[in-house]
Amino acid sequence: MGATWVYAEVTPDGAHPSALELLTKARGLGGEVAAVALGPGASSTAKELGEHGATMVYASDDQAFADRPGRTAAHTLHALAGQHSPSLILFPGTYEGRDVAGCLQALTGSTLMANATDVESSSRARTEILGGTKIVDVNLAGPEPRLVLVRPKSFPPEPSGGTAEVVAVDAVTPPGATATVVERHAEAASGPKLEEANVVIAGGRGLGGPEPFAMLDDLAAAIGGAAVGASRAAVDAGWVPYAYQVGQTGKTVKPDVYIAAGISGALQHVVGMKGAKRIVAINKDADAPILKIADLGVVGDLFQIVPALTEEVRRRASS
Amino acid sequence: MNVTVLAKFVPNPTGTPSLGPDNLLIRDAGDGALDPGDEYGLELALQLVEAGGGEVTVVSMGPAEALAGVQRGLAMGAHRGVLVTDASLRGADALVTARVLAAAVGRIDYDLVIAGVESTDGYTGTMPATLAELLGVAAVTAVRKLEPDGDDFRAERQTESGYDVLTAPKPALITVTAGATQPRYPSLKGIMAAKSKPVETVSAADLGVSDLTPTQTVAAVTDAPAKAGGEIVTGDDAVARIADLLADAKVI
Amino acid sequence: MALLRAARPAARTAEPGARARRELAHVLGQRKLFQKALPGVMHAFIFWGFLVLFPTIIEAMLAIVDDGRSLPVIGQAPWFLFVVDLFATLVAVGVAIAFYIRKVQRPDRFRGSHMEEADKILLAILGIVATLLLWNATKIALGQTLHPGAEPVANALSNLFGTGQPTETLERVFVWSHVLIVLSFLAYLPKSKHLHIITAAPNVYFAKNGPRGRLEPERIDLEASEEDLRFGVATAKDLSKKQLLDLFSCTECGRCQEVCPAWNTGKPLSPKLLIMDIRDAVVAIDPTGTVELQPLVPNAVTDEVVWDCVTCGACVRECPVDIEHVDTIVDLRRNLVMAESRFPTEAGTMLRGVEGPNENPWGQPASARTDWIGDIPVRVLAAGDPAPEYLFWVGCAGAFDDRAKKTTQSVARLLNAAGVDWAVLGGRERCTGDPARRMGHEYLFQMLAEQNVATFADAGITKVVATCAHCFNTLANEYPDYGANLEVVHHTELLSHLLSERKLLTTAGANGTVTYHDACYLGRHNGRFDAPRDVLGSTGLTATEMERARERSFCCGAGGARMWMEEDGDARINDTRFAEAAGTGADTLAVACPYCFVMLDDAAKAAGSEMRVADVATLLAEATLGEPTARP
Repeated sequence: MGATWVYAEVTPDGAHPSALELLTKARGLGGEVAAVALGPGASSTAKELGEHGATMVYASDDQAFADRPGRTAAHTLHALAGQHSPSLILFPGTYEGRDVAGCLQALTGSTLMANATDVESSSRARTEILGGTKIVDVNLAGPEPRLVLVRPKSFPPEPSGGTAEVVAVDAVTPPGATATVVERHAEAASGPKLEEANVVIAGGRGLGGPEPFAMLDDLAAAIGGAAVGASRAAVDAGWVPYAYQVGQTGKTVKPDVYIAAGISGALQHVVGMKGAKRIVAINKDADAPILKIADLGVVGDLFQIVPALTEEVRRRASS
Repeated sequence: MNVTVLAKFVPNPTGTPSLGPDNLLIRDAGDGALDPGDEYGLELALQLVEAGGGEVTVVSMGPAEALAGVQRGLAMGAHRGVLVTDASLRGADALVTARVLAAAVGRIDYDLVIAGVESTDGYTGTMPATLAELLGVAAVTAVRKLEPDGDDFRAERQTESGYDVLTAPKPALITVTAGATQPRYPSLKGIMAAKSKPVETVSAADLGVSDLTPTQTVAAVTDAPAKAGGEIVTGDDAVARIADLLADAKVI
Repeated sequence: MALLRAARPAARTAEPGARARRELAHVLGQRKLFQKALPGVMHAFIFWGFLVLFPTIIEAMLAIVDDGRSLPVIGQAPWFLFVVDLFATLVAVGVAIAFYIRKVQRPDRFRGSHMEEADKILLAILGIVATLLLWNATKIALGQTLHPGAEPVANALSNLFGTGQPTETLERVFVWSHVLIVLSFLAYLPKSKHLHIITAAPNVYFAKNGPRGRLEPERIDLEASEEDLRFGVATAKDLSKKQLLDLFSCTECGRCQEVCPAWNTGKPLSPKLLIMDIRDAVVAIDPTGTVELQPLVPNAVTDEVVWDCVTCGACVRECPVDIEHVDTIVDLRRNLVMAESRFPTEAGTMLRGVEGPNENPWGQPASARTDWIGDIPVRVLAAGDPAPEYLFWVGCAGAFDDRAKKTTQSVARLLNAAGVDWAVLGGRERCTGDPARRMGHEYLFQMLAEQNVATFADAGITKVVATCAHCFNTLANEYPDYGANLEVVHHTELLSHLLSERKLLTTAGANGTVTYHDACYLGRHNGRFDAPRDVLGSTGLTATEMERARERSFCCGAGGARMWMEEDGDARINDTRFAEAAGTGADTLAVACPYCFVMLDDAAKAAGSEMRVADVATLLAEATLGEPTARP
């Protein structure tokens, strides 16, 4: 098969971890592996990308990629692909990955598969549907390059020890209108919105007061991309504001992981979080209804488990 | 300002969907509904025209039953609807969908096209960006707040670490997040009024879209190994087990 | 009167016999007034006094025209003189009691009432009887009365007067004063709360017959033209004749306010103030019609007031003149929900769930309706199956809520143990529509009612047993309006019956103390007080009553679709009620409705109480079947 490209998202801290995961996978597909890194700091990611298997890195540090996201990258990628004819381009399943791939599809008319959990070749990939209960193998057809968006963390990144040749590319200015970033706001302190977080950590009556919510905040910070919620009991008790409430009369959340700490699991609450892909419940009461719907139920003292978990998450992140 | 809202009719959003013998999602089981994720965009559209005048058009592509989704939008307050329904569109992939919708939306005068971030059934999340490019308009995805600003829109876009503010000239396309608005519950007056609002039903051929060949086909469906779900742990390894689950879920 | 003529008719004329009996009890018998002893005596003295003294007004008028003339036949009869003297005195005593209540006791229920106006009226009443007694006294002094001994009070007063000219003048002054005060009183009447002496009797007559839990249906036909459609009450002109009569019957006594769960927990709703505020809006209507009518909400009453109501009916039950506050509140909600789509946002989840594909307030999959069954032998009715004697209507809470599921399981085991022929509808059951109806979404309720009634007909159901007091009320009292012909019993009634038939035998003999919380929609709205107590009595538990029990039970806070709304205010209704239950010192709080169960159990947990909350059925199952008494 022809070359596999990886769209390497560039962050202020270097290459997005997904790029390394995708490169690791791309190495195993046969054919050449190249990465495309576009945006300020792109060229400095080349070393890392090379170490993970890219023999070539098409890079541009142009601010335009950051200021006019999506289209600028898609049009540049379109031009590059026109010159080099890769068979397959792998994208991370991030907001940016989706935007660039989606836009590129309009330009190339090629197939675009989303939510892939594995990639076999440029003509076959795999996904999971119906809450992960069914595995679907999908045949990809149509003009190349075929585009596949892969769920983050589908493959563990493994360095290959290689080096990449860096090819500087020019940003293509797309015709027509492009949205422009005028302000950037980091909200690290408050984290993402409850409805949009990948991980929700919710506290209930078992927390016993407002102070232990700080413990949940710590865990959320350690995980990253996590938000803190609460059951109605905790909100009614005045420990946290109503905006935290998950449930029938509060917010409905559908995170990848929902951690219920000290929540018994009354129907009122369950209605708001049953759409979570995985549910972890920590409760000292072995009869708590929440344990029945939890994928992983922990019967124990949340005041020991939550801080220990925070430590463990930090330890794994740094190792 | 005229706003076109894309509305998807999805199988029972709270039930367990099932696959037909052709390995496609059963979309006409009689318990479908407007994708709840599309109601946020509808609400935003209604707020925009209520504040600045204009009309909201609901555009949907799906089986004949999807008319119910369009009507839900009309009951909430949208002014008219377009339903693209065509047996040949069954199994359409994101590219075909984008092409059909581009043709359908392109016939309408609009300043803004709104879609959900991703559908509740397919959660692909790429179609709106494709559509915007086909329409030749600027796109901002994952918008949690939008304000018209002269000839531009000013949008807050959700990012992994916070939010960015973007400006996009009219006309534009956005996708809205669940946190963007609090969708209204249609009043009975609205439901009644919806019955007399114009809904145009068109086929792919009417729109002049001929290439409907999907580029993705299901090769095989297998049952995933049953999740270890429902496991209860008590011992010292509880913390490690939670961390394993987080890693397994690819969030750490 | 013009207002009343123009108002929407209310179908309140059926069963005149029942209406007449109520008239006798509530008006002549003053039954509801006697719910409070001292105010009851006070009012009865004044009311009966006025009935009896009516002829004396005519007599006084005659006396003005023709001095010395009295009523023919009875005018000089000793018994008549005695009765007049006695009742005039009783009225005076009544007024004195009234002033004692208002000025010394000063109960909180008068907060927001027009106090000065009431004082004026009481003084006028006192003036009427005082002048009457004094007039009679002067007549005795002047020797115009044949049987002065028949009038002990007037006779005693007559000692104040001589026999000369001054007394003759005073006699004229008293009789003229008497008539003038009566006339001014009549003139003042229509502008005051005292209009109730005219409106109360018809208001009582036109009150709701049958169970108070039934709401008047409002047929909604979406095919009808838009002008013909009415969604509840938007402006004063949408009020029915009965609702208008309610407004002008209110005496501002505040008995409703005193028992209102919302008012008692610091919320803005007072049923009394609601009626007064709507009355003010009606009075302010511009008769020329040039000023456009403003919507009642939020101009006369705020949105919050309308949504605070738990529809527990305590106000209606207390009201001496049978004002129906709850119906008016639901009518206001109907307009807000169906016309305006304006209601506490969080309740939208319930409406979406009820109308959605799964048709239950929690939006749970319909297929999960049988999840509670586990290993219990249960017949789930498939289409075409033979009908059981009893359909067990599980209800959404009973099917989905973990706590209510325990009740469902207990009932199922007991029915099996008693050998009852019963079955469930499983996934074919859907919400009765009660929460939607109490929210004001009459159309959604109507659709669900019609569908459920069709399911009953299809399955050949004739008898239904329900554990949810709300389902019970809706199925029993409201579904007949949609064509249902069912015998509906509450599970406590059926269990009580099975116990009395000795189909269930208690063996375990439970120990401990229990207090029973009357569910509004079982007790006050439907008069089912004894069955749950009988069942508890058979368990061996020692029963103790809360202060507010039976007819006067205090709501758990979940009725009127409040289950689906957030609660503000100084205190939560469920916490307030639970504290009362805990105050009895009983170790178990028995409930007979899943809403009460959830609300009171939540309150128990919030209070960190050891008190157990359990359904009557579960307690019986433990005593009968020796089920494990696992605490939830």
